[in-house]
This record gives sequence, C-alpha cells and structure tokens, in this order.
Amino acid sequence: MGGKVSCTLGEVKQRADFIVYWGGNPAECHPRHFTKYTLMQKSKFLPRGRKDRTMVLVDIRETKSAKASDIFLQVRPGKDFELITILRALIKDQNVSDEAIADTGLTREVLDDLVQRMKSAKFGCMFFGMGLSMTRGKHMNSAALLTLAAEMNAFTKFVAMPMRGHGNVTGADVMMRWQTGYPFGITFNRGYPRYNPGEFSTVDVLVRGDCDAAFIIGADPGGTMPQPAIDHLKRIPTIVLDPHVTHTSKLARVHITTAPQGIAAPGTAYRMDEVPLPLKPPLKSPYPTDEYVVRRINEAIMAKPFWLPDGSQPQMLTAQV
Amino acid sequence: MIRITGGRVYDPANGINGEVRDLCMDGGSFVESVEGGRTIDATGMIVFPGGVDVHTHVAGGAINFARAMTPEDHRRTQAFIRTKTRRSGLGGMAPTTFATGYLYAGMGWTTVNEAAVPVLSARHTHEELADIPIVDKTTLTLMANNEIMLDQLENGEYERAKQVVAWYIWAAKSYGIKAVNPGGVAAWKWGKDAKQLTSPIEGYSKLTPGTIVTQLAQICEDLGLPHPIHLHCNNLGAPGNISTTIDTLKHLEGRRAHIAHCQYHAYGGDDWDTMCSETAQLADYFNAHPGITTDAGAVLFGDTVTITADGPWQHLLYKLTGRKWGNLDVENETSCGIVPYTYRPSNLVNAVQWASGLELLLLIQDPWQVFLSTDHPNGGCFWRYPEIIKLLMCADFRQECLKQLPDKIKGKIRLAEIDREYTLYEIATSMSAGPARALGMPKKGNLGIGSDADVVIYEEDEDVERMFGHPRYVLKGGEVVIEDGEIRETPEGREFLIKPACDPGIDDFMRPLFEECYTMSFENYPVELERIEHAEFADCLGSTRS
Repeated sequence: MGGKVSCTLGEVKQRADFIVYWGGNPAECHPRHFTKYTLMQKSKFLPRGRKDRTMVLVDIRETKSAKASDIFLQVRPGKDFELITILRALIKDQNVSDEAIADTGLTREVLDDLVQRMKSAKFGCMFFGMGLSMTRGKHMNSAALLTLAAEMNAFTKFVAMPMRGHGNVTGADVMMRWQTGYPFGITFNRGYPRYNPGEFSTVDVLVRGDCDAAFIIGADPGGTMPQPAIDHLKRIPTIVLDPHVTHTSKLARVHITTAPQGIAAPGTAYRMDEVPLPLKPPLKSPYPTDEYVVRRINEAIMAKPFWLPDGSQPQMLTAQV
Repeated sequence: MIRITGGRVYDPANGINGEVRDLCMDGGSFVESVEGGRTIDATGMIVFPGGVDVHTHVAGGAINFARAMTPEDHRRTQAFIRTKTRRSGLGGMAPTTFATGYLYAGMGWTTVNEAAVPVLSARHTHEELADIPIVDKTTLTLMANNEIMLDQLENGEYERAKQVVAWYIWAAKSYGIKAVNPGGVAAWKWGKDAKQLTSPIEGYSKLTPGTIVTQLAQICEDLGLPHPIHLHCNNLGAPGNISTTIDTLKHLEGRRAHIAHCQYHAYGGDDWDTMCSETAQLADYFNAHPGITTDAGAVLFGDTVTITADGPWQHLLYKLTGRKWGNLDVENETSCGIVPYTYRPSNLVNAVQWASGLELLLLIQDPWQVFLSTDHPNGGCFWRYPEIIKLLMCADFRQECLKQLPDKIKGKIRLAEIDREYTLYEIATSMSAGPARALGMPKKGNLGIGSDADVVIYEEDEDVERMFGHPRYVLKGGEVVIEDGEIRETPEGREFLIKPACDPGIDDFMRPLFEECYTMSFENYPVELERIEHAEFADCLGSTRS
C-alpha cells in the first residue's frame, strides 16, 4: 500500500467516462466541480458530455449530490474501509463472504455491477472527501481507496484524487514539501525539519502547551480547534495576519489586518490537483499583503543577533539521531 | 577580485591539460589580470571548471511528489542545520531545495539542467528553482506527448507544429525541449504504451513514435535551440531495448541530438532472466556519429526513488516491486510516475544496469560525447557522483566491485574486459566542459577569459572519491562559496532561458485548442517573465535577439 495514482483535472474533463465521489458532497461543497471538470463537459473523447459519463456516489446519506448521480450506494457509517477492501478483492475475483458484504449495507448484486462497470470503463476517476478521510479509519481509508485505484490499473486506466478545500491548503503542502521534505506536522526545534503528525501537528503542539508563541496566517484555529488548544493560544503571545476579524484574531495579542489573497493581493494558489494558478487581484487594498508583513518581520529578526553563537552547531549532520 | 595561483589547471574547452596557470576573476567572469583582491594559493592543487549536470531532476511537481512519498528516507538522511544566513534542509534520495544547492555546490557542481518540466506546472518548477541557491539552472519542456502538438504532426502540419513548440517554450520560460517516450506517454493516458517506432500510437491513425522523433528533432534544429532535442527513447528499461534505441538513433538521421540516460536503453535479451548489456553496440554507434551526445544515467547500488515522465514504465516497475506508486497525468502534456527502488548487487538485472552505465562511459571513446549522470535520482543520487568518478579512474577498484556481483553475471556484461581509466582531463570533460558544450552554454565549463568564473579546486588525494567529494574550494561567479568543507556564501543562482522566434498569430491558433483540453484560463497559462528570479537570456542559433 502507498502512493497516489492521480491526474490533473483536465484529464478528468477530457477522458473520464466513469466517476466516483466517495464521502463527499460536491453539489454543495465544490459546486463547480460537476460543471467544470467531471460531468457536464464535452470533449473530443466524450462528445456527448454527461451522456458519455457514469457517476457513482458513495456516502452514508443521500445528499444533494445523489441527484446528480447515476448510481447511489449508501454505505453503512464506519464501513468505508471494509467496502473498499471488499472491492479490492472482487476486482481480483477473490472470494468474499455474504456476511462481509451485508455488513457494509450493500448487496453482492450491486457490488458485482459496480466492479463490472469499473473494469469496463476506459478512464475511471475516484474523488474522495472528508466523509472518507476524516471518519473512522481516517488515513487508512484514504490509503485503501488510493490502493484500489492503483490496482484497477491492471484492468483499465484508473486514478484517484482527494477533494481538498480550504483555500490554498494544497499550496502550503506543496511549498512545505520542497523546503522541508514534509507536507505538515513539521518541527524545526533541532535546527532542521522533522516530521511526525500527531506530535508536531499544530493542534498537538498547542494542546501539549509546547510552544511559547503562535504566528497564524490565513487560518482560524480559534473557531475549529479543541478548547485546550484555544486556551493555550490565549496564554501565549498569538499574532494573527488576517483580512477579517475572526475567532482567532479576537483572542490574539496582535492582529495585523492584511489584504485578502486573490482579491487585493497577488500570489500563487495551488488547485487540488497541484496545478499552480496565478492570483491577479482586481482590487486595491489599503492594507499590506501577508508577504510584505512577513518580509518586514523577517528583516527585523535578521537584524537581531542569531539565537545560537556562531560555530556552536555543525553545518550538517551526516545522519540524524 | 580573486586570483588563483599555482594550481594545475584542467580546462578541456581550451585544451589546457594540467598546466600550472593563474586564473583571475572579476565581476563574475575570468579576466586577464586583477590588481589587489584575494589570492588563493592553489599550489599542488587541481583546478577544474565547475561541474555541469546535463540531466537531473531537482525541482517541480515530480520530484516534489517523490519527496512526499519518501518521509522514511528524510528521517535517516543527512540534515542541514539552519544558521543566520543558511536555510535548513534534508539530503537523501530527494533532497529539499536549499539542500540541493548546498550539496551540488559542495561537490563542485555549479550548473544544473532540470530535464523534465510540464508547462502546466512550470510556474511551480520555477518557484522551486528560485529556492535552490548557488547553482545556475536551465529547464527543458516536455513536448513529445503534447497532444496539441501531436495533432499537428498527425495532420502533416509541420510548420504549425514548430510554432506550437516555440509558443510552449516561451510559455514555460524554458531553455529547450525534452522528449520522453514519444507517443508512449500519450498512449498511457489510456493505460497503453508505445513500443514500436513504426506502429501508430494509441488514439492516432498514422502518427508513430518514429515520426515524432524525426520531426521534433528537426523542429529543435529549425528553431535554433542552443541545446538539441533531449531524448528519452521508447522502451526504457526493457530487456532487448537496444534495437529500439538504435532504431531511434537512425530516425535522427544526422540531426543534432542528446540521448538521455543511455544506460537504461542498452539492453539485450528477451526477458528479465536473459537480460544482458548491449552497450558495445550502442557505443559503436556513438563512436561513429560524433554529432550526438549522451549522458550515462549510471546506476549505483543502494536506495533511491525513481521519477520519470514515463508513466507506463513506472506502472510496470510498481507491478514488479510491489512498492509505493505515484502517478500524475498532466492534461494534454505528459505524465509522471514515482516508485521507490533499491538497486542490489545480488539482483542480476541491477548488476547488468550497474555495469552498463560504466561500460558506456568507458566504451564511448570521446568524453565530449558521454557525460557523467545518474539521471538523478533514478540511477542514484547526484551527490554520489564522486563514487562514479572513482569507478572510472580506477580499473582495479572496478575489478574489486565486480566481485560482489553474482556468478551468473558472466557473459552478460563486458565491464571485466575493459581496462580503460579516465584521466583527470577526461573527467573534466565529462563532468563540465562536455555537458556545457552540449547544452550550448559557451560560458560554462570553460576557464577562458570572459567565461563565468565557476571553479572547483581539489587537493590532490590518492582516494579519488574523497578528493572529488570534498573540494578544497568552490567558486561560483567569482565568489568563494565552499572553503575547507564549509559553506561560505550562498548567492542566488541565475536561470537561463530562450525566446525562440514565433509567429504572432499563434496565440489565436492556440486559444480554442487550449480551451478545449485545459482547465485554466489561456491568459493565466504562460509563466510571467517577472516570476523568474535572475533570468538570463541565451541566444537561439542563427538568430539575433532584439
């Protein structure tokens, strides 16, 4: 298990004749997804557009997205991992017991039909949302679905992609990877990057009270994180850069109002498929950009003596301990 | 202003072979003489032009995907610690950007060519390149599976195809053209590959990989690109692929070309059991055709991560190894695949690969034609180049290494029979002057007056690997960046790009085709010139830039 077999959204628009949304509700959460990429677009390979595509929705309840689907599969809550594992077995013609199938809330007929459709597709794409990645099983569910997509390539072209949201979260992930090797959950407390989600993720560091200052850009943890994390943000000097007044800005020691990205500040945003898009602001703002503020803070820090005496650290460790 | 005195200078671009000479530099270039400034006494030391990597993968979506997939390697590899002037980072199989600059400069390489950039994510690649300090950079745009371009070739619209290529080079702000598995990656979009040069590609009625090779090479000639077509042939890694490779070379028919990582394209046999080295055949071809160049794509035993635009090959490698598999198909343009891999001396296929890379470097007689590379990180990481240099310079050491290969290797490789040893002059050619000339960069890999003052100074050492791994000084643009094993300065590198002549009407031609298959707006697609940090224009051949 491991890895990710994916594509950019233009490939889906051009080629995908079989689309699965799993644990997501694009009709309400990514309202342009159907029209721009997955369902309504015509292409030279799919000249009839929607008529040439089959859409399957897998979710625990019948959301608004079910209306757009050809097939809706209502999986029993918490049984996504089991269902994916069963599909991995069925595509390889392995035996699966009736009880295991019944446990997922679906029938053998429905799953056999699904497998047959997956295999006869020319280009299949599975999108998965937080209904899969943030429910019981979490990253194990995502890994299972990504593996199913990888294994489907023994039969036909298949890819999978997370339905990411929250502005430019993909951009932060991409940039952290090239500078540190890791996407998130990184500590620099030994002078070089180390990674351990669950230990160095923001919420864990805050709940343990391990940091003595917080610098927050374009996020509102005060509205989403557990109370012990919020309590710690109140205890320590918290600095917020945000165009708006937020839960976090209200508890912060310092709130610097900045120009909103994409509206009054330029830059780059990375789409969920990691395609970088330039931001061209249509408006001017009286407020400085995030970048300007961070640069100024950085310059001020650079003017101070370095926190460690010169030569007290090696330049490089040949192996980490 | 710096003067280097008393060193034995190896400068193949000017035919200087170990003469004791002084070098003077001012304002980033070599000059006749300087008054004042620092003098570096290099008496008894060896002076080379800074290394030039003709084929590497250090920035962009693919290597960044590889970084995401290998956290277990980051945790055990070397770490750079942050100081007041330097950023932290990690080395290993897929080094982070800052560490990439430190590691390249740390072993005396001062120019690198990022060999595979999709235009759609070129903006990302340039952002990463801006975060690679010290070294100068070029990029190549992936073109041999671009469907808009292929449609022109399918319809016999050569002239239009040429305009499309020129438009893409400028949109990507790149330096040249890379062709990966021509037609095969386009076929991969349907889960297929292209293995025969003369068979039509999946989804096309008459277009063949052979046609793409010939016409794209001609387009690179006609546009006057300083670096010719940079070609990753079809059938990479497959037993018996030598026939495809030779066939591909014949399709080039006297045009200039650079064949990437030729080690992966020089195998005989019918399957994994019978796979053997056919490097002699390939080397003969190169020896008879001085107009084409190649890089070794040598393999070193150990862990690495393979990354390539060759999607179908990576799917095969995933099935062979059962390890992690990353794939990213890029709309209209290309694909990319990532699979971590371990080369083992006990594995017969890996042993053949290890020997083949060295055989090509040794059997191709002219070091101006074959360059040091591992196709980083595919055959091994770039920071292991000193190991290859030792293997090239010490025949005894090679024989020692051959002993760790399985007995069954006999008859499958030629390496044991080769006693050639590279001289320092030949190493300087293969690691610097040769790749610089192939890239069309006259001021690189050259210690002559007016060239860029990129110099590496080694203290002579019987242990060649240690000598090349730990230069005494490295100068980039006339500035001392490495001294006594320490990073002194971390200047930002430049990025070289070209602007090929292009019919102004091509925008109107591209727009409707673009809107059909892409998912971003036409205006947002080309990378803005202001986004390139320290951009420097190179000239196309036979043109004068306005």
